[in-house]
Amino acid sequence: MQPPRPSTRDPVLAIGRACAISAALICFLPIPLLLAVATSDTWQQGPWTDGVTLRWLGASWATVAPFAAYSLRLALTTLLLNVLIGLPAAYALARSRFPGRPVVRALIGLPLAVPGIALALALILAYPTWRGGGWLLVAGHVLYTLPFFVGALVPALAAPDLREREAAAATLGADPLRRLVFVTLPGIRTALLAAAIIVVTLSLGEFNVSFFLFAPTAKTLPVDLYAAYITGRLEIAAAATVWFILLVIPAAAVIEYLGGARIGQA
Amino acid sequence: MQLMTLQRDRRLRWPRVEAALLVAPLLLGLSLLLLWPLAILALRSIGVGGEGLSFATYRAVLAEPRYWQVLGNTALLALASTIGALLLCTPAALYLEQPGASGRRVLAVLLTIPLSLPGIVIGFFVILFFGRTGVATDLAEAALGRRVPPLAYTFWGMLLGYIYFQIPRVVLVLRGAAAAIDPDTLDAARTLGASPWRVYTAVVFPALRPALLGAASLSMATAFGAFGTAATLSRSYRVLPLEIAAAFTERFAPELAATLSVLLALLTAALLWSVGALGAERRFADEENR
Repeated sequence: MQPPRPSTRDPVLAIGRACAISAALICFLPIPLLLAVATSDTWQQGPWTDGVTLRWLGASWATVAPFAAYSLRLALTTLLLNVLIGLPAAYALARSRFPGRPVVRALIGLPLAVPGIALALALILAYPTWRGGGWLLVAGHVLYTLPFFVGALVPALAAPDLREREAAAATLGADPLRRLVFVTLPGIRTALLAAAIIVVTLSLGEFNVSFFLFAPTAKTLPVDLYAAYITGRLEIAAAATVWFILLVIPAAAVIEYLGGARIGQA
Repeated sequence: MQLMTLQRDRRLRWPRVEAALLVAPLLLGLSLLLLWPLAILALRSIGVGGEGLSFATYRAVLAEPRYWQVLGNTALLALASTIGALLLCTPAALYLEQPGASGRRVLAVLLTIPLSLPGIVIGFFVILFFGRTGVATDLAEAALGRRVPPLAYTFWGMLLGYIYFQIPRVVLVLRGAAAAIDPDTLDAARTLGASPWRVYTAVVFPALRPALLGAASLSMATAFGAFGTAATLSRSYRVLPLEIAAAFTERFAPELAATLSVLLALLTAALLWSVGALGAERRFADEENR
């Protein structure tokens, strides 16, 4: 005899269902509205009064493209630096209880507790001459992505079955380099992919630090979007945002599929 | 005997040297890019490298009613958005962790959308709904038959934007805690005749309390530091991050900007650590046990 499903009688869960659906709608509804504004000729006269137009999307692509290219280059540079300094550190954190380990963890997480604007100001005051080439942007983006990159890799590297496979390879005579290339890296490839995508999406969407660190020759897509919001026509701003979202959504979908979660600053 | 000591030494020492070498690039990078700049920020805020050591900027900031007003604005916005997000998302998270909940996968994916969006885009979303030609503004005008001032650039518009970016943060923290509640305990309470309300007050909410505190502190800290949403929406309702930006870019006062930054950073760090310390410890533990 099946007991009645609790959710059908539980008033809090009935409210919970309503809350979950409304919260999901709040999160989602701006996107169709954005598409409607971006494809309407004159939004003030209502949606699609002259049919669907792609003219704003076309016009904004021309201005958005160079910034999107710069943002992608910046994201990939950030990723490369994360791999170079974050991957060895994640390995040490996962495998060894060395003294000072809690301090290293706290240091990696520190940027999440410091507001982006404060960190950006700190970087400018410390290295005023680095701003021109965009190197301060790289520094800021690395600081804000590193906690997520390391956090995604440590559990994968600490997995007991991976360590057993490495030990087995060692007893079969594989040297450390071969173990790294043929056992460890393939063993963490899902986590590595998730970590890489998290870094790229966070970097592409970063604004708080970038707004202070950008230079005329080094300007990111969100900084350009901000200019469009403040000065531009509503339809063009919406079209530029559509391009930005198209850049970010596929990566976000893959993270969701891989089961990752990332909580950055707003 | 000597051999044994040697072996033990090797076992003890080698991993340490190895770990030190592996962590060295990261420590070097963080020292140069994080610790040194933060030290410079703190030094500039007390006048070192400028007019000489003094706490004059701190005294000036604390004596200025305008900054207390801005701090009050920021705190009110942070508190209101946190309460709003908790009221909306706590029941939602409980529902999403029900085994029989319909559509939970789709709902969960939709609820993470705000995480991928920078604050400025969230501000623009508010403008699309509540700006001068926003959908809601137009609807209100049609319903009332007169022009209504747009909500987007007021406290209420900012509040909606802030709640929007809090939603996934609160949901993610609370879902983990809701999933950890043992269904057998709930069944036992129900079988023993506890009313639904009693099940919540006696079992569910006590189990959720650490997560609720953690979610609240994360939301508060995020709202205090939020810049993009405020930069897009704020007109007369000023918040602390905007004052820092204005001090640096408009008034060319790095000492003032540094002082305000230090105060803001201390505030958010205190919020995260006071309530969130327990939660953070557990998160790291969970991460390692997963």
